[in-house]
Amino acid sequence: MIALALAILMAQEIQSSNSDGYTPPADSQPPLHINGYVDLGWAKAQGNGTSFAPGDMRIPADYGVDTFAPAVNSRGDVASTDSGGRFTNGFLPRSVGIGGYPSFLINTVDVDLRYQPSTAPLMLFTRFQLLPRVSSAGENTRVLVEQAFARVIPFASQELALTVGKSDSVFGIEYLENQANLRTGVTPSLIARYTTGQSLGAKAFYRIQIAPLWTAVSVNLAASNGGTLVETLQPQSASLTGTPVFSGRLGLEVNLPSLEVKLGLSALDGPRNDQSQPGVRQKALGGDARLVFGPVELRGEWITVTQDEGAGDKMNGLGRQTVVSKFDVRGGYGQLGLGFDFSGAVRRVAVYGRYDRRHARFEGFTPITVDRITAGARVDLWESLAMKGEYLMNRELAGAPNVANDVVTSSLVYTW
Amino acid sequence: MRLLFALLLAAASGKHDWLGSEMPLPLAVRTPQDLEFKSVAEREYLIFNLLTSGKVAWDAGDFTTAAAKWESLLAVPDLEVSIDKVVRPFAQEARRKAGGKAGDVPPPPAPRVSREESAPAPSPRKREVTSVLVEGTVSGGGAAGPGGAVVWLRRTDGPMPKLLPARKVVLQRGKAFVPRVLAIGEGSSVVFRNDDPINHNVFSLAPHFDTGLYGAGGEKEQVFDKAGVVQLLCNIHSSMIGYLVVVDTPYFAQADATGAFSIKGVAPGQYDVEAWHEYASQPAKAKLTVGRDGAKLALTVAGDRQPPQFPPDKYGKPRQQQLGY
Repeated sequence: MIALALAILMAQEIQSSNSDGYTPPADSQPPLHINGYVDLGWAKAQGNGTSFAPGDMRIPADYGVDTFAPAVNSRGDVASTDSGGRFTNGFLPRSVGIGGYPSFLINTVDVDLRYQPSTAPLMLFTRFQLLPRVSSAGENTRVLVEQAFARVIPFASQELALTVGKSDSVFGIEYLENQANLRTGVTPSLIARYTTGQSLGAKAFYRIQIAPLWTAVSVNLAASNGGTLVETLQPQSASLTGTPVFSGRLGLEVNLPSLEVKLGLSALDGPRNDQSQPGVRQKALGGDARLVFGPVELRGEWITVTQDEGAGDKMNGLGRQTVVSKFDVRGGYGQLGLGFDFSGAVRRVAVYGRYDRRHARFEGFTPITVDRITAGARVDLWESLAMKGEYLMNRELAGAPNVANDVVTSSLVYTW
Repeated sequence: MRLLFALLLAAASGKHDWLGSEMPLPLAVRTPQDLEFKSVAEREYLIFNLLTSGKVAWDAGDFTTAAAKWESLLAVPDLEVSIDKVVRPFAQEARRKAGGKAGDVPPPPAPRVSREESAPAPSPRKREVTSVLVEGTVSGGGAAGPGGAVVWLRRTDGPMPKLLPARKVVLQRGKAFVPRVLAIGEGSSVVFRNDDPINHNVFSLAPHFDTGLYGAGGEKEQVFDKAGVVQLLCNIHSSMIGYLVVVDTPYFAQADATGAFSIKGVAPGQYDVEAWHEYASQPAKAKLTVGRDGAKLALTVAGDRQPPQFPPDKYGKPRQQQLGY
């Protein structure tokens, strides 16, 4: 009797849920997604904000120093490119024009439009960037169509993505965090100028998973008007030769539960797209590695680039340039990061250090070797705000005069 | 088990086919709803068997058995008053004829006086209400609407029944989690079944779990033993996002596309209410008094949150969906 009563009481204690889950109707999802970010900064560069040494009278002035060294933001814009009247030949980054003065900056106002209907394996994507430049000494304010492409994933059973339009590079890994809200730190590496430029053309990505080994092999190929140089160094949106530049990356990734290893080999071959003769070539090779283990992330990349000597003037993003030397460069970086996640308003705290080294030579000019030591921290607040601070110690090791061009920079990125 | 044992004992002496001696009832239990159904059916089945087998024994002059059957019947909690009224005289008489005293028959349930109701005192025969229905609607949720909102109740003036862990299934179908949002009780498990012709992975950063890769038709099961919201992601397909809402109360439900929801079996009392929605940055909260006739509830969830623009990979690195990898 007691057993019966207890049994019934126990049966009454058992409760069950009313939930079988919820999946919204496919057509209830709006196909258009509008996102973006605003990147505000504050920066102070040593000296006059450039890498030009006051007493260095060699010309072209930008061939004897690393003009990209005093970077202040995620775009790689530098504090200044003012050469003091000395002749330069277009091997220059964009400039925010603040010289050696501390200044607040509006680095980027980014708007991404992604149209992805649920009924088709198609996606249209555009990335517009407003670049307000408040100093008359630097670049003018402009709007950049950084990306505009269509992507098709034709087979449901295959990891194959085909892209046509202006899109990210496929070379190396730094393009994956080229935007201010994605990059752990503030500034790009010293080799980013060769690998992270967007180009207009077609891309194909294919990946095959090896499930028992938690491993995947991928191939990413592109045929584009230009190469992967940043937009000041090549006119990416038009082909000056009619011959495409081919680039690609072969990747291997091992995604174990607590350890990620990603390795890649990249290559590029095609005409210099600042020349009109397709026989004037550019080539690049690169290797990259990433390792994530718990809070530790280790990443590195190495490249070598060669460009043939041109027969005439060159046309790049900064205009017509008269000297077209043979050029070769090799360099790389290694970055160690340590990140910790939290559940409150502070979502993540990360500290990082990076070592960059670059050796470059314009034929007929003094080769230069520079390096950079970068240290910084990033704090992510809630789901949409990132605060970053960074110190760049730039050093001229050989071929370039020592100059005070270290940078303190910071960034506040709101993603929406 | 004890219930089944008791049921078997109670039904053992009956020889009549119409008494239905089969125990346990062959009702499939695949979902909590199935279990709830089976519990109700078995309760009614038990009452019927005790009621009628007692009468069969009475008719056969076996007063000892009749008294035992009916006394067991009268001990069933929350027995309907009409049954008690019919059976109790028979049970007392059977006990007397079996050589006992009518006082051996279990007394009727004592009247329960609510702390909030001092008068009039409820009738001793009045059935106590132990579970009622809470129903309502959720509104808001922004452009996505209120569908999928998870509503749960936590009692503040007394204990809650134990939560029975369930086993649920979430499919990976068409590079999406189906269902996209699922509420489960603490301690429940979820089977992740790959219905696509490609490999998938399921992981969460908090709490951390990682199923590894598995192909078409493959299944991986994961137990969720801590209350909270679990964001489900696939390490291969950055566009795949789903949510498990793990609750530590048996009183929960999910709103349908119109926002309607209902929670059955709620004991009258005072409750804190929370409602989570994928597009709300904070859960909606309310207080609720559940009376003997149940309660109705209207909640509004915000629509101030967007799906992650850069879903992380399983190591926490953000991924750009437009890349397709």
